[in-house]
Amino acid sequence: MNCSIEKNIIVENLNLYYGTKQALFNIDMEIPRNKVTALIGPSGCGKSTFLRSINRMNDLIPKCRIDGSITYCGENIYGQGMDVIDLRRKVGMVFQKPNPFPMSIFENVAYGLRCQGVKDKIELQKTVKKALVDAALYDEVKDRLKENALSLSGGQQQRLCIARAIALSPDVILMDEPTSALDPIATAKIEDLINELKKDYTIIIVTHNMQQALRISDFTAFFLMGELMEFDETSKIFSHPKHQKTEDYITGRFG
Amino acid sequence: MSKNKKRMIKDGILQGITYLSSTVSLITLLAIVLFVFGRGYKLLNFDLIVENFESQGYVADLFDDFIFCDCPATIDLSDDFYYSEKWGIALSDGTDLLGKNIIEIEYIHPDSPFKMVQDKGIGEEPIILRTDYDIIRIAFEDYPTALSRYGAKNMIDSLNANNSIREIEFRTKGGGVRGSILTTIYLIGMTLMIALPIGVGAAIYLNEYAPINRITKLMRSLIETLTGVPSIIYGLMGLAIFVPLTVNLTSATGGNLISGALTLAVILMPVIIRTTEESLKVVPDEYRQASLAVGANKTQTTFKVVLPSALPGILTATLLAIGRIIGESAALVFAIGTSIKDDVSLTGKSTTLAVHIWAMMTDEPANIELSATIAIIIIFIVVILNIIIKIISSRYLKQKMGASS
Repeated sequence: MNCSIEKNIIVENLNLYYGTKQALFNIDMEIPRNKVTALIGPSGCGKSTFLRSINRMNDLIPKCRIDGSITYCGENIYGQGMDVIDLRRKVGMVFQKPNPFPMSIFENVAYGLRCQGVKDKIELQKTVKKALVDAALYDEVKDRLKENALSLSGGQQQRLCIARAIALSPDVILMDEPTSALDPIATAKIEDLINELKKDYTIIIVTHNMQQALRISDFTAFFLMGELMEFDETSKIFSHPKHQKTEDYITGRFG
Repeated sequence: MSKNKKRMIKDGILQGITYLSSTVSLITLLAIVLFVFGRGYKLLNFDLIVENFESQGYVADLFDDFIFCDCPATIDLSDDFYYSEKWGIALSDGTDLLGKNIIEIEYIHPDSPFKMVQDKGIGEEPIILRTDYDIIRIAFEDYPTALSRYGAKNMIDSLNANNSIREIEFRTKGGGVRGSILTTIYLIGMTLMIALPIGVGAAIYLNEYAPINRITKLMRSLIETLTGVPSIIYGLMGLAIFVPLTVNLTSATGGNLISGALTLAVILMPVIIRTTEESLKVVPDEYRQASLAVGANKTQTTFKVVLPSALPGILTATLLAIGRIIGESAALVFAIGTSIKDDVSLTGKSTTLAVHIWAMMTDEPANIELSATIAIIIIFIVVILNIIIKIISSRYLKQKMGASS
C-alpha cells in the first residue's frame, strides 16, 4: 500500500444503510495524515457509524449495506480483494468502554501479535514493552504484567486497549468516545497520550465533548442526521463556523 | 382503614403460602434423606466400596495331622459369639451385604485346626482362614451337615459333637459395589469424551457462526425439546441402534459399556449444548469486537477469547452432565443391562451405581437396605459435585463483577 500521500483516507460519496434505514448520506471527506480528526455531532448523527466503517467493523452488523468508497492508501477498502484482517491491523480501534480481554496484561497486548503468528518470545516482549511505554502505561504495570487486566482501573484499562492497538504498529487509530466512561484525571491522561501519539499515527476520534475536540484535534467534522455538515480545521470550526447549525451545536443550543 | 386491613390480610395469606411451600419442600427433602440414611447407614462401610459383588467360594478339608485346640479364647468375645474350645473357633449369625443370613467367622485361635485348611480344588493349596470369610456349611461323616441357615449355635454344637469333618465350604463376603463404582467412572469418562466435544462444538456453531434463520431456529427448538424427552426413550434408541452397532463392530455380545456411553452421550448432548450456549451468550460482545479490531479472524476470536471466557460455564455444564450420568438408570437398563459385574470391560455388561440399585430392588427379595446404602454413596457424590459447581460459579461471578467495575 502506498501510504506516503498526505491525505491517506479519502471518503467519496459514502452511503450506509441499516436495512432500509439510511444512516449516512453522501459523505465526502479527506482525512489528513498524522493529525487528530475529531468527529462531533448529537447522538444518533452517524459519527460512530462512520468511524466504524473506516475499519469495516460495520461488517459485523447484519443487514448493514454500504455504497460509495473509502480509499485508504490508494485502495478502496470496500473493493474486491481487500483483506479485512489486514485492514484492521493497519487501522486499529479503541472502544467507548474499556474492553481488555480477561487475561493477563501482557497477553492482552500480545494478543494481536500472536494472532498474526508471531511466536518469538523476545520479539513479543520487546513489542509489548514498547506498546506499553508508548501508551504511557508501562511504569504503572511493569511489575505486574502477569496479573489479570481486569484488575486495572478504568483509565489504565483504556490505555491498555490503546497499547493493544498500537502493538500492531498501525497507521490509523480510530477512537470511539474513548474517555466517556472515565473520570477527568484519567481523561486528561488519555488526552495527553493522544497528543503524543499523533506524531506517529493518524487519529480519528469520536467525542461528545466540545472542549475535548477543541483541546486535542487539528481537524473537526460536524455530523448531523447522517450528513457531514462541515469539515475544517478545528480552530476555524470553533471560531468561524460556516453553518448556522454548527454554531448552534458547538455553542450548546442543541445536542 | 378497612382497605388497609384487607390489603394486610391478603399479604398475610400470600406470605403464609410461601412459608408453607418452603416448609413442605424442606420436610420432603429431610424425609428422603432420613429414609435413605436410616435404612442405609448400617451397611455403609469401606468394605462395601472396595469389595467385589461376586463372592469367591472355597471347599476345603482339614489337614490330616490336625490336633484339637482345646484352648480358651485369648480375647474377650461378645455374647453373640459362639465359641468352641475344642476347635478354637468363634462364629456368629449375621447378614451379608445382600441381606441373606450367613455365619460369620469372628475369631480363630492361633492353634486352631481351622487356622489353615487344605483346598479341595485342583492345587490342594493351603488356605489361611480369615475372619472376613463366611461359612456356608460344614459336612461331617455320619452326622447331619451344619448349614448356615441353621445358625451359628447349631454349627458350633455340631462341631463339638464330632471329632473330624468331611469338608468345610466358605466364601469371601461379596455384595460390594466396587464394579459398579468402576463402571460409573468409566461411563463418565467415555460419555464426556463423546458428548463434550460435540456439544460444545454445536453450541459454538449455534452461537457464533450460525445465521439467524428458520433452520437454526428449528434446530434450537428441537434441541430444547430433546432435553425434555424421558430418558427411557433414549434407552430404547440405544437398544435399537447402539447395541446392534457395537455388537457388529466389537467383540460385545449384547448391551455393553460403549453402547451405554453412546446412549448417555445422546442424552447429554442437548443439555451440554444449551448450557454452553448460555455461557457463550453472556460473553460480552466487546471482547469479540476488540479481538476483531486487532486483526484476529473469526476462528481466533472464538477459540482464543470467547471460549476461554465461557469456560466456567462449560465446566458447570460438565459437572451437571456428570451428575446426570451418575443418576441415570432407565436408559442404561436398556442400553447396557442389569447384570452386576466385578470385571468391568468396555465391551461387557456391568452396572452403574444407580442401576445397581435397580438390580437390587428387582431382585427377590428386594434389598432395600443395600439400595439405601448405595443411595447414600450417590447422594454424597452429587452433593460434592454441587459444592464444586457453587465454588466455580461464585468465582466466575466475582470475575464478572471485576470486569464491570
